[in-house]
Amino acid sequence: MATTAPALTPAASGYRSGLYEWLTTTDHKKIGILYVTNSFIFFFLGGLLALGVRTELAQPGLQYLADENLYNELFTMHGTVMIFLFIIPMLVGFGNYVVPLQIGAPDMAFPRINALSFWMLPLAGILLFTGFVTGGAAAAGWTSYSPLAQDRPLGSVGPGQDLWIVGLLLIGTSSILGSINFLVTIFKMRAPGMTLFRMPILVWTVLVTSVLVLMATPVLTSALVMLFIDRNYGGSFFDPANGGNAVLWQNVFWFYSHPAVYIMVLPAMGMISEILPVFSRKPLFGYKAFVFATAGIGALGFSVWAHHMFTTGSVYLPFFSLMTFLIAVPTGVKMFNWIFTLFRGKLTFATPLLFALGFLSMFLIGGINGAFSAAVPVDFALHDTYWVVAHLHYVLFGGSVFGVFAGVYFWFPKMTGRMLGEGLGKVQFVLMFIGFNLTFFPMHALGLAGMPRRIADYASDAGWNELNLAATVGGFLIAASVLPFLWNVFVSLRSGKPAGDDPWEGNTLEWATSSPPPPYNFDHLPEIRSERPVFDLRHGRAGSGH
Amino acid sequence: MSSSPRTRFAPGSIWAWVLLASIAVGLILAVVTDSVGALFPPEAATAQGREIRDLYTIVFVIAAVIFFVVEGLIVWTVIRYRRRPGDDELPPQTHGNNLAEIAWTVVPTLIVTFLFVISWQTLNNVEAVSAEPEVTVRVTGSQFAWTFDYLDAGGTSVAKQTVANGEGGILALPVGRSIQFRVHSVDVIHAFYVPAFLFKRDVNPDPDGRESVFELTIKGSFAGEVLRGQCAELCGLGHRKMTFEVHAMTQANFEAWLIEAQQTPPPAPSGPVGTTLQLVAKDIAYDTLELEVPAGEPFAIEFDNQDLAGITHDVDIRLQDGTVVANTTEIDGGSSTTYVYGALDAGEYTFMCSIHPVPSMTGTLTVN
Repeated sequence: MATTAPALTPAASGYRSGLYEWLTTTDHKKIGILYVTNSFIFFFLGGLLALGVRTELAQPGLQYLADENLYNELFTMHGTVMIFLFIIPMLVGFGNYVVPLQIGAPDMAFPRINALSFWMLPLAGILLFTGFVTGGAAAAGWTSYSPLAQDRPLGSVGPGQDLWIVGLLLIGTSSILGSINFLVTIFKMRAPGMTLFRMPILVWTVLVTSVLVLMATPVLTSALVMLFIDRNYGGSFFDPANGGNAVLWQNVFWFYSHPAVYIMVLPAMGMISEILPVFSRKPLFGYKAFVFATAGIGALGFSVWAHHMFTTGSVYLPFFSLMTFLIAVPTGVKMFNWIFTLFRGKLTFATPLLFALGFLSMFLIGGINGAFSAAVPVDFALHDTYWVVAHLHYVLFGGSVFGVFAGVYFWFPKMTGRMLGEGLGKVQFVLMFIGFNLTFFPMHALGLAGMPRRIADYASDAGWNELNLAATVGGFLIAASVLPFLWNVFVSLRSGKPAGDDPWEGNTLEWATSSPPPPYNFDHLPEIRSERPVFDLRHGRAGSGH
Repeated sequence: MSSSPRTRFAPGSIWAWVLLASIAVGLILAVVTDSVGALFPPEAATAQGREIRDLYTIVFVIAAVIFFVVEGLIVWTVIRYRRRPGDDELPPQTHGNNLAEIAWTVVPTLIVTFLFVISWQTLNNVEAVSAEPEVTVRVTGSQFAWTFDYLDAGGTSVAKQTVANGEGGILALPVGRSIQFRVHSVDVIHAFYVPAFLFKRDVNPDPDGRESVFELTIKGSFAGEVLRGQCAELCGLGHRKMTFEVHAMTQANFEAWLIEAQQTPPPAPSGPVGTTLQLVAKDIAYDTLELEVPAGEPFAIEFDNQDLAGITHDVDIRLQDGTVVANTTEIDGGSSTTYVYGALDAGEYTFMCSIHPVPSMTGTLTVN
């Protein structure tokens, strides 16, 4: 009691070792590491769920899942876990760790709220998984369309769906608190000289993402409360049997969940935009264009939600088609700016750059195959088939997950003071790159051949056998690629090469402090006169070519 | 400047790995996708589907060009501009180029605008609905059955086909005629999907019974073909079994088929029956899950389906291991029937609704 001094002086809140420190910390760096670690745990769990799905689909016939409802639980929980407990919090974790460092701040604006935001997540995860031991987890798909998600026979009877709702409410609340924290931090706590247009692009993407979260997530949380009332207290918001509207759920759900795609991709784009310049030894090409493109994606992102609903017959198709096509423009601007950052650079092929290049080449496919669905009549053929599964994984795995691993290899030295092994990193990259494409590319053909999503079995004469087998083999290859990563982390934490302050010759402020940084981050800050203060420090103003 | 990179293979550089991986992936993909004709949809069975396929082809060609140009640019840049060992000189620090930014904003805008315009045109053709279609079919989705009602000009059903769990009737359609579909659901959301039509439409439940309407015309060359159809929107436990067959017919064959389908087959003649039991289904549940009959003699179940129209049930009998002993024909909500079963040996059996194999519709039949 007497020893718990208020966390006002660096000395008092210094790095105490042990579990107690991790459970009670309000240091943004430790909370960031907690976010990242927690997200990886759910990444592995979500991956196991996906392996269950792929194993069952490897061959026609029901081989492994005697209880077919379990199959629906598997893909429902896979989608839910990967989106809400892996990608979104993982990127929040990187934002938590890196953003205060990059803007020269000692911590987030509201450290205790920051801790609260994090601790809601493991709780939400436990609630979601509790469904498996209380009569079945949620099984209505991660989209939980009503009336299937209603409490009725052949709907979603039992606590699993309610646990899903409550879990998502917690995650949504965590996101909203986090976004306010980021916005205040970015607007109020930048170091002297760190003007808005000198902020690293990662900070810009976290800023725009936070605005998206703040505007979209409350819509989802209210919809979840309404669904909870429908299920438990006789409400009839989304249940046509009682005068409600089934399509209304889709509107409010996607009003959040489409911007959520940008919530899951923009910070990954920001990470790529930090990594490409460092490993090509050039500034980011078109910094301001990048900022405007990010803001443009954020704004347009609110006008495309109904492109998930083209086949409902209940939306004004041309508007959403046009907006969906248009959002390709700022995304394309980014792509060209990234490529021209590499162009005439001097590229060092360290593992972060490999994953960043994986992001570029795979996200490109995810952007292009999205254009097919923007053409509404083509979407009539592709919607709810495996084509869409291919598309969303090229965006969220080919994009976000490759971006996340680029970030892990890039900032692990800053977080731990030790380098990850390059050899194992490259093995992981090659396995993951091949496994990813082997899993998801054949799904384009499966979708065109008419295989719908979310089926546990298919006819052996439908012509889908080989493609499904290939996808399953690829899935296990992805799983295998995680093993060298885990081994790499384990070995590096014990005996990795010491990183030093700035192992990559970085550009931004986090490389101007020690690895790991001290409490409150900086003993003193270098002068900030461009978006690359540490580059300026190393090469002088002459080197920056201003 | 002196930034021209070396062309010799730099030891330790990883670009060769990337290339190798890409080639390996490319080869594997080529092999697996080749087995199904790959990246194009199947030949369209409808006039509307052909327009969709033509649109797909245009989008595909543009997409392929963009893919190869941009992906090629990435690969080329990566190979060309790798850093030589020992080269510590900075490359030129270019910060951007406004002309380039304008170019790669304007050109993609033009491309997507073009794509939007042509897809809007196709959309108008695909969505066109005529005032007096030549054939009208009402499609009712339910867990987990399709009901197809053939409507006359006044909107009255003249023939009905039911497919439950992929078994039962068919969706017979004439070629060369405009066919209007009016779809709705009685419970959760389903989706009417025939891959060869390159088309699907959500089958929504609506409190006011509103139907979603679309129109198709099957191409003459598809007469005699049988096409797979399937529910495309997750609708619960039996979602994957919610399949149906489209039988495309010449107009003459369709007329003949329709006349035959209008004559409801008489119920099967019943033999001498010992015991007769009552069973009611309501809210996807039987009113009892325990039934008892004497061994060695036929028996009957008077079955009353009190669920909403469109929700079909039946009463099948199975052995404990799942072997089907008696397979009954499902009846629609709001109707009743008498099922007659043959004599059974003593023992415990399961009676259940084959459309809704859930605990509330799975009971124990004791024969003694």
